[in-house]
Amino acid sequence: MRKGSSSTASPSNGREGKAPSDRSTDVRPEPADTSSDILDSSLDLEEAHFREGYSDGHRHGVAAGREEGRQVGLKTGFETGEEVGLYRGCVGVRGSAIRADPTRYSARVQKSVRTMEALLDGHPTTEPEDELVQEMVGDLRLKSRAVRASLGAKLENRGYLKGVDNEDVEF
Amino acid sequence: MESHDGAWSLKEVQKLEGHTDRVWSVAWNPAAGVAGVPAMLASCSGDKTVRVWEQNPSSSSWFCKAVLDETHTRTVRSCAWSPSGKLLATGSFDATTAIWENVGGDFECVSTLEGHENEVKSVCWNASGSLLATCGRDRSVWIWEVLPGNEFECASVLQGHTQDVKMVQWHPTMDILFSCSYDNTIKIWAEDGDDDWHCVQTLSEANGDDLTIKVWETDSAKMMSGDGYVPWSHVCTLSGYHDRTIFSVHWSREGIIASGAADDAIRFFVESKDGSVDGPSYKMILRNEKAHDMDVNSVRWSHGENRFLASASDDGTVKIWELVPVI
Repeated sequence: MRKGSSSTASPSNGREGKAPSDRSTDVRPEPADTSSDILDSSLDLEEAHFREGYSDGHRHGVAAGREEGRQVGLKTGFETGEEVGLYRGCVGVRGSAIRADPTRYSARVQKSVRTMEALLDGHPTTEPEDELVQEMVGDLRLKSRAVRASLGAKLENRGYLKGVDNEDVEF
Repeated sequence: MESHDGAWSLKEVQKLEGHTDRVWSVAWNPAAGVAGVPAMLASCSGDKTVRVWEQNPSSSSWFCKAVLDETHTRTVRSCAWSPSGKLLATGSFDATTAIWENVGGDFECVSTLEGHENEVKSVCWNASGSLLATCGRDRSVWIWEVLPGNEFECASVLQGHTQDVKMVQWHPTMDILFSCSYDNTIKIWAEDGDDDWHCVQTLSEANGDDLTIKVWETDSAKMMSGDGYVPWSHVCTLSGYHDRTIFSVHWSREGIIASGAADDAIRFFVESKDGSVDGPSYKMILRNEKAHDMDVNSVRWSHGENRFLASASDDGTVKIWELVPVI
């Protein structure tokens, strides 16, 4: 007599009767007092497979995500860094030119260059996704366009990533 | 305005031909047509040129005085004279704005303003001629300061519109700039000290269709007394008069509104004095149906004491009209 079992299978062979059909079960004689284990181990098996599949997927996902994230991060960081670097360079050159000959540049251009210097010194650039940094880069971009227009200068360096076939880009 | 309650008629004074593509815009020289100086008009076209027309004082007929070519490499979309009449700004789809100087009857390009990323749609001088505003498809509005020697410096690049900016216009007496955009808003820009321009108000009447004229007002006495910014509010809509897109509206010194539309017609409106409605209301006093053979892109009243109007059309012509009361 099985304890707590509603199955009508014969006690000698777990494969007869209502055992789950898509699970492999050991064909062995069941000791009478572990009869509830037949269903329990089937349930455990499903959960075991689930856990194994989940952890495999998770492991692969983390690895793939990290690699993709690294690529995106390098690209975004590079783009921001390149742009800020351009402004630092321009401000450096123009700042020096102004100090060498202040009469050569109008009050407005001098003030704009000073404002850009202050913006560059004032904010860190280690967190390119930080909103404040984005705002700063936006301000720099506008000021730079205005200064360039006033000086009649043209931007020839469009950046490493622009005008380049994306497949050729490597970091 | 001394009201003439009777009928009006629009007399065609002359048709100016010469452009080889659609004419987008016309501008009357504010310093001409007075004190013995012959009246002068500029027109700009899809043929990449600007034409300057002058009125012969003895015969009163208009002739083409100059063709400003070989400068813009694409359609010239907008033109505007400085208040002194000495400079003409022309905005083009080639992303530049050219500044021309009238040197003894010859027009010379003395400066080219670059900065917009793509098509410039509109140019406008402020009342004193110290500032020039430009706007374009790149969604930005640029303010340029005029310096001695025809040097121009960019004072500010204004961002805020989320679509093409179609037109900029300065207030006639204060340094306040209005810009309108495909994003269905009008933005009002003012300066808060040194080159610090920002948007002080956005007008958005979301029932946007291009078949109506809207009128806005502010308390300008209060604004000019320096009490801070006084917002503009919408006071009137003229609807039901146009069934095709309105491309241009202009208010005369006497308060007559002229409109030019895609149905080739020019219409005129005045404030109606029946006083039964809250706020101003307008009535149409004349519709000239076949003013041109194609879309009327621009209508501009002359600055003088007369009622002369110039219109520009897709049909490649400029027409000069006179609005006359019918006794």
